[in-house]
Formats: sequence, structure tokens, C-alpha cells
Amino acid sequence: MDTANLWRVGARMRGRLRIILTLFVLFIYCLPVFSQETPVSGKVYTDEGGLGGVSVAVKGGLRGTTTASDGSFKIVLRPGEKILVISYAGYETQYVGAREAASVLLKKENRQLEDVIVTGYSTQNRKFVAGSITSVSGDAIKSTPAAGFNQLLQGKATGVQVLANSGVPGGGITFRVRGNNSINASVDPLYVVDGVFVSSADPIQTSIGQQQPSNPLADINPSDIENITILKDANATAIYGSLGANGVILITTKRGRLNAHPRVTLNAYHGWSNAIRQFKVTNGPQTGLLANESVRNSAIDRGQDPSLVTLPFANPDTLPTYDRFKDLFRTGATSNYELAVQGGTDKSTYYTGVGYFKQESVVRPSNYERYTVRFNYDNYISSQLKVGTSINISRSYRNLSSNDNNPQGVINSALFVRSYLPIFNPNGTYARYGSFDNHIALIKNLDNNAVGWRTIGNVFGEYTFLPGLKLRSSWSVDNNDEYENNYNNTLISAGIATNGSAASYVTKNIVYTNEQVLTYVKSSGKHSINALVGNTLNSVVNKLTTATGQGFPANSIKAISAAATTTGSSSSAVSKLVSFFGKASYTYDNKYTLDASLRADGSSKFGANNRWGYFPSGGLTWRAGQEEFIQRWGFFDELKFRVSAGLSGNQNGIGSYAALGLSAGGANYLNSPGTSPSQLANADLTWETTRQVDVGTEFTILKRRLSVTVDYYDKHTYDLLLNVPVPSRSGFTTYLQNYGAVSNKGVEVALHSVNFDGADFRWTSDFNISFNRNKIVKLASDIAQGASGRNISILRKGYAVNSFWLYRQLYVDDQTGNAVYEDVDKSGTITAADRQIVGNALPKYTGGLTNTLSYRAFDFGFFFYFQQGNKIMNMNEFFMVHGGTQANIGFVPRQLERWQKPGDKTDVPRITTFSSNPTQNDGAANNYGGNVASLSSRYLDDGSFLRLKTITLGYTIPSSLVRRWRLSGVRAYVQATNLWTITSYRGLDPEVSSQGNNQNTAGYDWATVPQPRTIQAGLNVSF
Amino acid sequence: MKPIYQFLLLGVLLSSCKKFLTETPNNALPAGQSITDVGTARAAILGAYDGVQNYYAGNYPTLGVMPADNVIFNGTLSQYLQLDQNAIPADNVTTVAAYQGIYKAINAANSVIAYVPGVNDPQLTAAEKSTILGEAYFIRALGYFDLGRGWGGVQLQLAPTKDLSGLKGVKRSSLEDTYKQVQADLNIAEGLLPEDASTRNRAQKSAARALHARLDLYRGNWDSAEIYASAVIANAKYSLVRPYSSFFTSPFLSAESVFELTFSANDRNSYWNLWYPSSAGGQYTLKPSASIVSRLNDPAVGGSRKALIAGSGSSVYGVLYNTSATSTDPSYVIRIAELYLIRAEARAQQGKLALALGDLNAVRARADVGPSAAVSASDVLQAIEDENSVEFAFEAHRWFDLVRTKRAGVVLGLTNSNAWLFPLPLSDVLSDPDLEGKNNPGY
Repeated sequence: MDTANLWRVGARMRGRLRIILTLFVLFIYCLPVFSQETPVSGKVYTDEGGLGGVSVAVKGGLRGTTTASDGSFKIVLRPGEKILVISYAGYETQYVGAREAASVLLKKENRQLEDVIVTGYSTQNRKFVAGSITSVSGDAIKSTPAAGFNQLLQGKATGVQVLANSGVPGGGITFRVRGNNSINASVDPLYVVDGVFVSSADPIQTSIGQQQPSNPLADINPSDIENITILKDANATAIYGSLGANGVILITTKRGRLNAHPRVTLNAYHGWSNAIRQFKVTNGPQTGLLANESVRNSAIDRGQDPSLVTLPFANPDTLPTYDRFKDLFRTGATSNYELAVQGGTDKSTYYTGVGYFKQESVVRPSNYERYTVRFNYDNYISSQLKVGTSINISRSYRNLSSNDNNPQGVINSALFVRSYLPIFNPNGTYARYGSFDNHIALIKNLDNNAVGWRTIGNVFGEYTFLPGLKLRSSWSVDNNDEYENNYNNTLISAGIATNGSAASYVTKNIVYTNEQVLTYVKSSGKHSINALVGNTLNSVVNKLTTATGQGFPANSIKAISAAATTTGSSSSAVSKLVSFFGKASYTYDNKYTLDASLRADGSSKFGANNRWGYFPSGGLTWRAGQEEFIQRWGFFDELKFRVSAGLSGNQNGIGSYAALGLSAGGANYLNSPGTSPSQLANADLTWETTRQVDVGTEFTILKRRLSVTVDYYDKHTYDLLLNVPVPSRSGFTTYLQNYGAVSNKGVEVALHSVNFDGADFRWTSDFNISFNRNKIVKLASDIAQGASGRNISILRKGYAVNSFWLYRQLYVDDQTGNAVYEDVDKSGTITAADRQIVGNALPKYTGGLTNTLSYRAFDFGFFFYFQQGNKIMNMNEFFMVHGGTQANIGFVPRQLERWQKPGDKTDVPRITTFSSNPTQNDGAANNYGGNVASLSSRYLDDGSFLRLKTITLGYTIPSSLVRRWRLSGVRAYVQATNLWTITSYRGLDPEVSSQGNNQNTAGYDWATVPQPRTIQAGLNVSF
Repeated sequence: MKPIYQFLLLGVLLSSCKKFLTETPNNALPAGQSITDVGTARAAILGAYDGVQNYYAGNYPTLGVMPADNVIFNGTLSQYLQLDQNAIPADNVTTVAAYQGIYKAINAANSVIAYVPGVNDPQLTAAEKSTILGEAYFIRALGYFDLGRGWGGVQLQLAPTKDLSGLKGVKRSSLEDTYKQVQADLNIAEGLLPEDASTRNRAQKSAARALHARLDLYRGNWDSAEIYASAVIANAKYSLVRPYSSFFTSPFLSAESVFELTFSANDRNSYWNLWYPSSAGGQYTLKPSASIVSRLNDPAVGGSRKALIAGSGSSVYGVLYNTSATSTDPSYVIRIAELYLIRAEARAQQGKLALALGDLNAVRARADVGPSAAVSASDVLQAIEDENSVEFAFEAHRWFDLVRTKRAGVVLGLTNSNAWLFPLPLSDVLSDPDLEGKNNPGY
């Protein structure tokens, strides 16, 4: 490496470092020196006996020890040291003198405000945290039949909007922290698992329509998770600088404890799922009737005598009906088995867990299967040096099935084909109609396998120079390998023409991270300080190798090596990030805390002129509850105010070489290599920046029975990484530049209430609600997209992202039966100028209500999720309420509500295929065709819903009984998921986003697998 | 503290290496160094052909048939329904993709025209250099011609785009000026291009002349059209092949072809997929109309051209693009039959009816159809129009012919002549100040 260069770049950070290091040095010199000592020995126990691994620390000093497995400890006190601090996660901290130390009883803790939480690069006492951080324990998400822990956060945390895009197991989800910040760059948060930056890029190449094929975070077994922390505001996320603008999700997995006996836990459940609702289409006679009516009405519109027209069906009543949905839907099975062991010696701790999860889709033929292994190990080589590792290895298997906009998808082939058409030809072969395949052929022959191997691991060393001063160095990798093999045999449409076709993909998404963090924690009298500096090197590598083959000798031969013609390609991209950061937090008198952090990031993705970005933040916390005048009032048990502001950045989701002017290869002709201009240079390209202000309060009242957290935030994202449309005559269509701004403002409220706390009966409730208002503040010009070129979603200045751009149907003229649309420009005609924004896919608010009740050995819980104010574009109705314009597509029952005679009051216009005068309002052409082309608000529905997400009843066998079997705990339970839903949505399921592959086309329902309703029975055993 | 301090600094320095943050792609050239030697010059002209392939594979032929009467919509995708119903919004996927694709090819050609003359590589001979340049001028001419007949006069970009600032100030030209630019480029191309006895998938002198004949036809320069068409017809390299179906049968590149774009197993054209029914592995979005089916099946009209369709009853489908197993159908840009019909029309317009009928009947005879019974000048012109419709049933002709002759109103009932031009892409109207917010009239 070029040392001169190194020095020059490093010099930018040197000034800042020197200040922070000087601070450290000052503190070190302040350390007192002592000579005389008093030995103390004691024992710590809980209701269940002696407890190992408990921290015993000297108050005011920096020394400490931990208890042995029977709870005993020994420590030496120096003069001036009087109080021992006994603490253990999940228990109330005790402060005891030397005499009381002989026997210390720890009580389980129920106080939300006083626990320690994980923040960026450190842990802090919640009391003093100035940022907006939500913490969810691993227990809150376990045992729910969904693959990804992020999906399970739905309704569990404020400021987080989570939606499963479909009911496909292991399929894509929508996850937003405080709204959509970006348009062309990524809106996914940063996920950090035990300090490893993990890739949230979908590794699956197989196109399954516009859906996101997989949830890459499903590779982590939710049962291995101890805690999930969601960093939301600038103060919390700024330490992650350019990676933090979309929020940061920190996942801490389970680790063993020192001096703890091995504890084995076994979890198993089995569930059965079916679809919440199934599709309904018109039967054969109804379909024939509607088809006849269309031909007759169209003839009238053309001025012909309808009695002279040949109708398609002389006698529709005799048409048969073929039910395709009984083949499509099934009762899907879900199985989950987990075994974990954790414990520790006096020098090391371990946690290891293995898991198996399998889930069948409620729509044939998709499956998801996952094997996970986790191994977490820490070793205290000396009192100063600790080394450890966290490793997650998982193997996932998916058989993928294409849907939504692919007419040869399974659901499409069952849903859209007219119901009077036979499934099989008279000779017994599969019958196909129009663009559609045969659903049974697909179910039996689809062969798209995706096998993922994922390793998320790190090794770290932690060296304690002096009590409170620690250096941690961590080396991590997230290696995500996906191997896909797709085979279309000659029995499905995709393989007929080519006599079998196959594709094979090897995808590697690798994230390497190296990190050094020096932390310093010190309390002295009324002052305490918590500071850190660090640096990160991050490298993201994406590789793809593809092979395809066409023409196979037999359906049983699937290897591409056997194909008549084969092709192959490979590509790779690398991007790198260098970061330096520092953070300091100072607390005075347990009342006032001042936080500040700064991160500098350099990215290889950006233009040479603007590679570095600087992201500062600051926050202030006032524990008003500690003030005498509040305490005297006696109302608040705890009261805290906090305010924070800062910047964070975003560079994800754009190409690795986005700033360069390029002439791309692959523009080949005549089997010779060609190049063609592909991208315009932008040497000024730089970070998309989010400025966020957060004001919050947290308080506890009614003898700590009710805890409340309220936050207001105002986020302004500017210099958007925007693909700005440029004139086509340039030879380019878009140019990536920093242009545009998006605003998100919102309020979040969380309540935790202990409703009843008796000896036998206990009832707690958690309620949260989050409001977010999104608005595009600045944009070069409208960007319309979505629904396969129908451009139903639009991005427009002054409106929220995910707005729907349609013609607003005012009513159906009860005399003519024709649809009347709002004539926005008052021109008297219906043209493109009359298309307008008529709704939005973003909910106004989302939230959850969790109730946990226990009575003696029984526990009962139920959890509601709700969202309100979002719209869904029902593409199934868009196609199946078509008035006859789609010759190969059937109808849904809503078409039967069509206008038939003067006086009919309905919102479904008269059936016709007439196409002349496409600009006439209240004219036949625009009923289902014309300029409106069915892009009508009549297919836009309210997608609000309230859903009983889970309901659980459990029984814990009394410990006196299980001890006889040498077990320490046995719990059996039954649980139902998605049991009950209130919604006015007309489609199958309001929890849907069929075009979820693109963040700007949310809220479509299009031939999608609905959410499963699952009943399960399970058993947890520990010994 | 000292060792810690040093250790930290070392980490800071090691990690801030500027080199660490410099990454370049392994599948693209930096824009400034894309044409520097013989290899990159060859790659650049092939890239320009690739641009023509991109818009001719499916989008442009669709625009040539779908708005007219030979092909109807039978699928689910709105962009085809909009074309079929002649209710085309400015964001129609097919018109936008074609428009953008054409300009992308023009930009690639402009790069060749701008940079290849400056290449000093002894391996790049003067002859090859002039061939490459001639091809680039031909591709630019084809691009502007295809823009002009679809969208009217367009903005003429004659230099490669290096940055956006260079775009300013280019207003739309008239259709006449657009066609003049095409003519100028074709004249240069004809001078630079070679001619051999076999090449049909790269531009040659004859391809430039053939396009020139078509340009003259569109501009009503009948005598010039006749001269250029005759020059191509006279070349023994070209002939009307028999049977009719042989030009669209593998291995392609028949003597019929003046210019076609070759596809291969590694460079596929899956346009057949839009024509074939799902029982044959396609999507069946484009379906031959009842009228063209009956004409093709009529021995006195279609003759052997009934080979363009297959299937029966309500599931007749077009098989001009038929390599469903391999997806290697070429794009048919100029066939010799067109030169006969261009000359027939040019001659008829000049009153040379007997000669016109001779050309017309040559095309009919090849399709095993008897001589035309047309006598009067208007009957002959009508017969030529009808012949074009059948001969080029599924190629990019029918719509442009009806617009060119201003007969779209009479034949298609499309009396609103604003609908005879496609709309400019909505994004261009919004993003290009030089369009002054104006689309084509009526959009």
C-alpha cells in the first residue's frame, strides 16, 4: 500500500482522535491508589436456589467478580470501598454492604425503564439513553410459524411497519423503520447480528413475478435470538453513519453464562394451515351469461341489431363448471424442532443450538425448509483478554412458484381461466387457454429449487487494559450462497417449445467486516462517562454465475450438460466502505445526560469528488423523575425527557459502480463481442442524507404498573440518490444523481401495563401505535411505474410514495350504465390529464396489542395487529371485472353486480367491449377499455384490517412433578395464528403486496398466496 | 498509553487507504476509453448493431402491426391493448421502449462516428475503418427513419452524449428535416460501405440503397425511389425465394434478405413467444385478425403465404417468428420483395402502370398467386397496398404504409389524424426542456 496516501487520508481523523484519547489519558491518571484490603465472601440466590454467573462489583471501583455455579463468591474490599453491586440480567440489581453479602436474594425484574439495552457498539442503561430505541426480547417472537424474525416484529415495536408480502413461506416481507426514506436507494434497515453486518439482498435469481422471492433474514432461527434492538432516531443510528438512515436492527443471540450448569432446552411444535379465504369466480352458466351480454351490448353500441348477432353461447345454462381451487389450496403442514444447550465454566461460556423448520404453503406447490446450527463461545484467556466467536450456519430450501404478473403461474392458471373450460383435453392431456398454463400441470411439474447456504460468523478479541477501558477487535463474514436449479419439462408451457429448458444460478453475496472499537466507561461521584472510538472496514461482494440449457432428450434428464444448446455467464461487483467513528455520553448526577457521536464514511460507490460523508448527532436526556419537585409530587415513579438530532446516510441499493461513466460489454452481435454506452458519469455522486429530530418522553406511574413511551420525530431525507429521467435522445433513460427530498414525520406511543399482579394470577398488556406521514418534498418529475407497464403507482412531489394513479370513478350513470369519471381538467373529455392520485398504499397508522395472562400453571396470550388507512389495488378484480374485453379471462362475482337496465344503482358499469370514442365520459368505450383502460378507482379498495395474529394457551407442568423426571421445566401449548380478521377488503387477504420486489410499487393484490391460518400444538422441555 | 495510541493510529491508517476505496467493474469500459484500438472499434460497431436488434426484435415490428388491421390483442398486457385500440397513452410501454431503444442505438452509432476516425491502430486498416463508419452512418439513418415514420420529426442528436449539458438547445426538427438527415447519412454510408456477394446481416451498399428507396417512397420522390429500388433489384445477390416460407425458415439469411438482424442461441429473440398459444409454450398476446386469416387462406390472395399462420378455428396463430425451440428468429428489416413493391408503387405514381404491374405480379407469382386484374392507376395503387398488407402481414409495414398514404382514416376508421403518430414518451416531455412541455398533437 501507498503509505503517503494512507497518511494523508488518515490525517482527517487524527485531530478528532487526539482529543478523545487525551480524555482517556486524563481519566487513567485520576485512578486512585490503595493499599489495605478486606476479604468478603457471600452467596447469591434466587427463589430457585443459588445462581451462578452473577456479577459482583465494587461500587465506585472498577473491580468485580462473578459467582460460582452454586452462587458463592469471594471478593476483596479496599479501604473506602463499602458497597457491592450485585447484578444479573433479568433481575433487580442489589446494593449490599459487606455484612449483608453473606446472603443476597435477587428478585425478578419487571421494570422496563431500568434495564440495560444494546445500542450501537455498546450497551447502556436505558435510563440515560437519549436515542429512540425499542427493544424486543427473543421470547416475544418465538414459536410463531413464520420463518423470519423480522416478520415477527409486526405489531411488537413502535416505529416499525412490517407486512408479509404474501403467504409464501420464507417469502419476501416489507420492513420499514419510520417510513420510506428513499426512492431509488434501499429502504431496508441495516441488520447487525452479534456485530456482523448482514446482507439483506435477496440472493434468489429465479423470477417469480414481481414478488420478492425470499426474506434473507429467514436464515436466522428466531429461537436463537436473545434480544432485538431497533435503533430509530438519529442519535441512535448516527454511529452507523451511512448505513443507518433506514434504521438499524441489532440482533443479539443467546450466549452461555459463566459457572452455569449445562441447560438443555427442547422445543417442538407442529401446525396445520389453511387459507384464510379462497378465490371465488363465476360458475360456468354465469360466465356464459356475461360473455353473451358483452357481445350483445357491444353490437348495440356499434349500432347493429343485437338479434342478428351470433352469441357465443346459445344456452349458457348448460355450461359446466370446473372447480380449479380445490386443486390449488391445501392444508399445509408446519413443523419445528429445536435443541439447544447452554452453560459455562469459570473461564468460558457456550451456547449451541440446532433447529429444523419446515413449512408448506397453503397454495400448492411451494415449500420452505430450514436447518440451522448456531455456536456461540466466549473464553476468558486471562482476566484481561477474552476471545469469542458467534457462528450461524443455515441451509434453506425453497421450491419456488411464480405468480402475480406471470400468466403461466400456478394461481394465474387456476384463477383467470374461464370456469366452463375443461381442465383436461378429451384425450386426457392438459388443456391450456390463451396465455395461461394448466394449473395441475404446474403443480405436478414445477421444479424450481433454491438451496441457500449461509454462514454468519465472527471472531473477536476483547482486551481490557484497565477496568473500564476495553479494546475490541472483530472480524466478521456473512457468506450467503444460493444455488438454484430450475427445470421446465415438456408438460408445462415454459418447457413445451424448447423441448425442456433449464437454468442454474450460483449467487454469492458476501459481506466482510473488520472492526476495532475502544470503549471507556467510568463513574466517579456524580459524573459518569461512556465513550468509544472505532473504525470499520466493510467490503460487499456480489457474484453470479448462470447457465441455461434448452432441448433435453427426456423429461427425466435435467442436467444442463445434457441440453442441446447451452449458454453461460458470470458477473461480479465489489463495493467498499471505510468508517471512523466516535461517541461519548456524559451523565451528571444520574439526571442529565449529554450524548454526541460522529462518524466519517468513505465509499467506493461514490464519485471521486464526494467520496466522504460526515454524520454527527447529539442528544440530551433529563431524568426529571430524579428531581425533588417531581418526587415530592409522588405521581411519577420514573420520568424522563429526551431530545436528539443528527444526520445519517444511505448508499445501499445503488450499483457498485454507479458514479462511473461506462460502456458495457455484452452488447454482442453475430456471436462477437460488442460494447455500448451504458451509464453516464457522475463524479459528484454522494450520500443520501437523512436529518432527523426526535423528541420523546418515557414515564412510569401507578407504582410502576404503567410505563409509557411517546416519541415524535421529523425526518428529512435530502440529496436523494435518484434515477432522474433524462431525455431519451441522450441514449440514456435515467441519470443517477443527488436530487430530491422525502419527509417522514410521525408519532409513536407504547404502553406497558401490569393490569393484575397477584400470587396466582398475573396479567400484563402491551400496546403500541405508530403514525407516520410520508411526503415527497422535491422530485425532478413524476415517476410512474408498476403493474407490468400499467404505471398504477406514481411518485409525485407533494404526495406520499406508493400513491396510486388512476381515473376516479364518480358513479355509474343509472340511465346509460356507463361509468362516469372525474374530469380533472374540466375539458369535457377523458384523457390522460384526468388521471389522478386517488389513494396510497401506506397505512396511516399501525400497531399491536399483546396480552399475557397467567393463572397458576396456565398461561394465556393473545396478540392483535392492526393497520389503517392503506389502499390495495385489487388486480384480480382489475382483470376479472373486465366486461368482456379479456377474451381468455373469466369473471369474479363482482361482475354480476353490473348495470343491466335503466334505474340500476351499482358501481360496476354496463358490460361492453365497444372501443370507439375513447375520450367520451359516460361513454361505453371507457367502461372497461378506452383511455381509462380499466385503470379505475373502482378496483382500489381500503386495505385496513384488525387481525388476531396469535392466541396461545399453555400449561406448565408443576416443577415438583417434573423434577422427578430430572427435568427443570415442561410446558405444553396450543396456538392459533391469523385466526380472525376484521376488514372491508374484498380480496382474499389484506396483508399483501404482490409487487414487493420494488419498494415503490407497494399495495397490489395480484394472484398471490394469501396468509395462512395456522393451528399448532407444541412442547417446550428443559433440563 | 503510548502503545495503544500507536496501535490505534496504525489501524486508522491501514484502513483509510485510498486504494481500498477505488473499485472498477470487470464487465465494462470507462466511457472515455471505450474506443481506442481495433478491438474496441469493432466491439463498438457491434454494440450499435445490438442496439438495433434491441428495438427491432419485438417492439418495432409490434408498432408496425398492432395499431393496424392484421393483428389483434389476445393477451393480458395493457400496452398491446392500447396499441390495438389506438388509445395510446404517452407512457405506453412499447412505444416508450422503442423510442428509447432507437436513440440508444443512435448514441452508439454516434460514438463510432465520433471516435473511430481518431483510432490510430495499424491493425485497423483504412478499408475496415471506412466499413465501420459506413455501418454507423447506416444505423443512424435507420434509427432516424424509424423515429420519423413513427413519431414525426424528432430531435437530431448527431454527437455522442458525454454529459447532460451537451444536450441543451436541440429542438424538434420537422419530418422533412429528419428525413433529410436520413438521406445525408445514407449518402455517406453508401459511399463508405462495401458490397460482397453474401453478407445480409451487416449493412452493405445495397442495404443503404434499399433504405434510400424506402425513404424516397415515404417522401414521394418517385423517380429516385425507382432508381434506388432498381439498383438493388438488379443485384444478383437478391432474388424472390421460393417457396415464400423459405425466407423465415432456418438457417435464414436467404437471397430474399437485403438486411436482416441475426440472432443466435447466445443472443436470443423470443418474439415468437408473443405469437404462440400457451399450448405451444407462448403467451398468444398477438393474434392474426379474422380478416388477415381469411386473406392468407384465400389461394387467390394469400397463396403460399398462408404459411404465415398455423392452427385452426379460434386458435389460429402467426408463425413468421417460429423458432420456438431455439429463439433464433431474425428481425426482417428489408426484403427484396419490398423493393419490388416500392418500385411498383413509384412507377404507378409516375404513370408507368405496365411496369408497376410487372413488379407487383413478380411478388404475387412468387406466392403462387395469379397476376393482378387491376387496370386503372388507382386500382393498381390499391392492389399494391393490398399486396403489401399480405406480403408483410406480420412485419413492420402495414401501419406505417397506411399512415404514409394517409389512408389510416379510411381503412381503419381512425379519422382522428392525431392518432397517426405515436406519443413521445411522457418522461421526455417532462424532463426535456427543449420539448417545451409539448407532446405530439392530441397527447
